[in-house]
Amino acid sequence: MIACVAVIGHQNNPLYIQSFTEADDALKLHHIVHCSLDVVEERVNNPKKSGPTLNETFLGLLYPTENYKVYGYLTNTKVKFILVTTDLDVRDADVRNFFRRFHAAYVDAVSNPFHVPGKKITSKTFAERVSNIVKSFGLSSAG
Amino acid sequence: MAREVSESCIDSLLTEMVSSYCNRFDANKPELAGRRIEAIGYQVGHQLAERYTMERPRFSDHLEAIKFICKDFWSEVFKKQIDNLKTNHRGTFVLQDNKFRWLARMSVDPSIENVDLSQDTSALAENKATQAMGMHLYFPCGIIRGALSNLGIPCAVSADISNLPACSFVVRIKA
Amino acid sequence: MAPPGAPRSGDAIFASVERVNAELFTLTYGAIVRQLLTDLEEVEEVNKQLDQMGYNIGIRLVDEFLAKSNVTRCVDFRETAEVIAKVGFKMFLGVSASVTNWDADGTCCSIILEDNPLVDFVELPDTCQGLYYCNILSGVIRGALEMVSMKTEVTWARDMLRGDDAFELQVKLLKQVPEEYPYKDDE
Repeated sequence: MIACVAVIGHQNNPLYIQSFTEADDALKLHHIVHCSLDVVEERVNNPKKSGPTLNETFLGLLYPTENYKVYGYLTNTKVKFILVTTDLDVRDADVRNFFRRFHAAYVDAVSNPFHVPGKKITSKTFAERVSNIVKSFGLSSAG
Repeated sequence: MAREVSESCIDSLLTEMVSSYCNRFDANKPELAGRRIEAIGYQVGHQLAERYTMERPRFSDHLEAIKFICKDFWSEVFKKQIDNLKTNHRGTFVLQDNKFRWLARMSVDPSIENVDLSQDTSALAENKATQAMGMHLYFPCGIIRGALSNLGIPCAVSADISNLPACSFVVRIKA
Repeated sequence: MAPPGAPRSGDAIFASVERVNAELFTLTYGAIVRQLLTDLEEVEEVNKQLDQMGYNIGIRLVDEFLAKSNVTRCVDFRETAEVIAKVGFKMFLGVSASVTNWDADGTCCSIILEDNPLVDFVELPDTCQGLYYCNILSGVIRGALEMVSMKTEVTWARDMLRGDDAFELQVKLLKQVPEEYPYKDDE
């Protein structure tokens, strides 16, 4: 299950962060997202030879914590997407598929002429799309 | 399949945008009109860069990003690539389109063009025509600047039309 | 409804004209609206200027419309409205519109648009609630009709950006100049 998703701007400013857990752990999740940003920087500046291909937007598993797994994605426009899941057994393809759909939703949201670059994403349409993508996470064949 | 509209839509919208800014909103203030038209282009370029880079790896340097503008980006917008790319290797790039579509297709607004076309001032008339064309180039310059800046490359962009119908866009990357 | 010279269908014309990716058009229009809001400050003034821009476009587009559609003459307002909705919208925006809500004397109707490329990606912020985002369209219709000697008033009855289920433009014929046909030198 997805616990939290976030969009972080190129100056590490949060543009969108949403948790999906029942528990009152938003603060903890935000902290995890925050900590993951350093890992993204490190990953991008020192790409592992064995890891995902050089400069691929999908950065793979950033780090596992006791209860979560944290994945990262970095767009060409230096915007980071962070995904925190509670599943410890996650298929790589599902995560890639998630980010692909999430990216498409993000791109449409910032195509709104009234969206100001670098400002928080307040779009209702975006929130709904994200919620749908989150719900269908891991259900294979979700397009 | 991607949604399409007739090319006349974009042509007439751009023509009308330029003439509205030059003749109504900022009449007699060509610099202000130019800045505002450029700002419109900037927003479009910023958004298009986001859309057109969606399914591709990140660029590893400036040259790669500029080449993307010359090839994929230009093809999406103008259905052709930039014909010639030059650089001085010190942060300046010249992108030449041998037949720039928006100058070829767009009717330059006669109300801008025909300001005072007296017979004995053909030099002035030519100057006016060049100026009117220049107003149409703020928008594509803004698009390029918006796209590159969203790709992490702050720059200044200007256009050179001394070899019509070719048009060159000069990109100067800010250090 | 078929005048001599076999008018072409909107689909056939749209298939034959030069087309571009709608994104560029949609984003450009959005950026213009956004910039006008910054420059003109008042939402009312932006509505007015968008309508004016549309009007100027409409009076220019009508020639291309007549040439490509092979429509030579529309007998009355009723037929003209149908042609605009079925052929005009299709050949330029790639979407078709329908005409309904005729009043008894045939001088007022609604053009309904269920799909509108201008508003892809658009969400109005709370600060722009009085904005008629697509006001350029009402201007285009008004301008084009004026070139075929019909003075009209075009207003929005429904707007999807304001939560309605479709876009509805009410077109009201104010005056029909009983002249032969469009190419008059002066107005």
